[in-house]
Amino acid sequence: MLSQCLRSLSLFAVCISSLHAASFELPPLNSPPSTEHHVGKVVWADLVTPSLATAEKFYGGLFGWTFQSIRAGESDYVVAIEAGRPVAGLIEKPISDSDRRQPAWLAFIAVRDVDAVKRTALAHKGKLIADSVTYAMRGRQAILADPEGAVFAILASSSGDPPDYLASPGEWIWSSLHAKDPEVEASFYQSIFGYDVYDAESADGMEHVILSSDDYARASANSFPDNQGRRHAHWLNFVRVVNASDMTAKAVSLGGRVLVEPHPDRHGGMVAVVADPAGAPVGLMEWSDSDTKAEPK
Amino acid sequence: MKRMRWAIGIAGALSLAAIAGCAVDGVGVNGTVGVGYVGGYYEPYGYDYGGWGPGYAVGPYRGGHGGYVRDRGHAPAFRPAPRGHSMPSIPSRPRGR
Repeated sequence: MLSQCLRSLSLFAVCISSLHAASFELPPLNSPPSTEHHVGKVVWADLVTPSLATAEKFYGGLFGWTFQSIRAGESDYVVAIEAGRPVAGLIEKPISDSDRRQPAWLAFIAVRDVDAVKRTALAHKGKLIADSVTYAMRGRQAILADPEGAVFAILASSSGDPPDYLASPGEWIWSSLHAKDPEVEASFYQSIFGYDVYDAESADGMEHVILSSDDYARASANSFPDNQGRRHAHWLNFVRVVNASDMTAKAVSLGGRVLVEPHPDRHGGMVAVVADPAGAPVGLMEWSDSDTKAEPK
Repeated sequence: MKRMRWAIGIAGALSLAAIAGCAVDGVGVNGTVGVGYVGGYYEPYGYDYGGWGPGYAVGPYRGGHGGYVRDRGHAPAFRPAPRGHSMPSIPSRPRGR
């Protein structure tokens, strides 16, 4: 009697859970869909934030993003749009002071088979944060942590991956991983995404490597900066900007704060890191059209 | 007795429904956020994202960089890209061209 009751209730619970997932219709990455896939490319980013209104004001004011609500069920989710193209998702979730948590952008990296990548990641000391879920138009996704605990998502897009164009200002252009041991971290990511890994020159004695796929640089893995800050491994995502100094000042005027002052990076352009009003870090990267000198082979 | 069974059943159903609704509703690196949406997360509070010293570079190279081999004194944990492969850059083709 009890087991029968539990079986029925479990089924009911699964149904409720499925209904939640099914009712959430995330937009496709590509419209119209394509068959193009770029494993290892950061193709999407989501932000959980305590106030959508504040976030919309900040990111809209800073990057000119507009927002389209796709509220479903109990979730308030908005898609950030840049020049008519979806670039990010934002979801509201309150944080209490006792939670001792802060928001952070979550990068979604393209894969062909979420469950196969998940298994490989777990076999290489990764950790499963949220198991695979399929959203009809978006595709199948899961959230993982690497061996040092940096959190990232994997996504097998059902509409193909965005083509390899130079990001326009206001779009994501780059991602960097910051970790205690980037060499070992690079090995982990190479095992799951098949990256080519290149050593990068180091002007500061720290270790930096570049992760590439399809003969394009996709991200970097970097030692923590050599100061005594309290650190944890994390991904940081950069939006292309025309002028990092101007955008840093603008971020402050919109309620953000500066985490890293604008300074020149290895490509010659300036980079900076700011935090939005809720504390989510976001990178700013200048990239002039002439900064990329050559097409890959 | 029959009424009590019904009450227990309904209470159990509501509890399980709540658990199901919260299955993806945790926060932090041990969970995700959003009822019905497995997407984002909140990370532990108080970690330092700043403190980048001079020369701390994280961006891509421009295309055509010849490459670089770091002397670690041991074979790297990763499999290095083949020697002779020049360091790739990010895509350079503007959209629509």
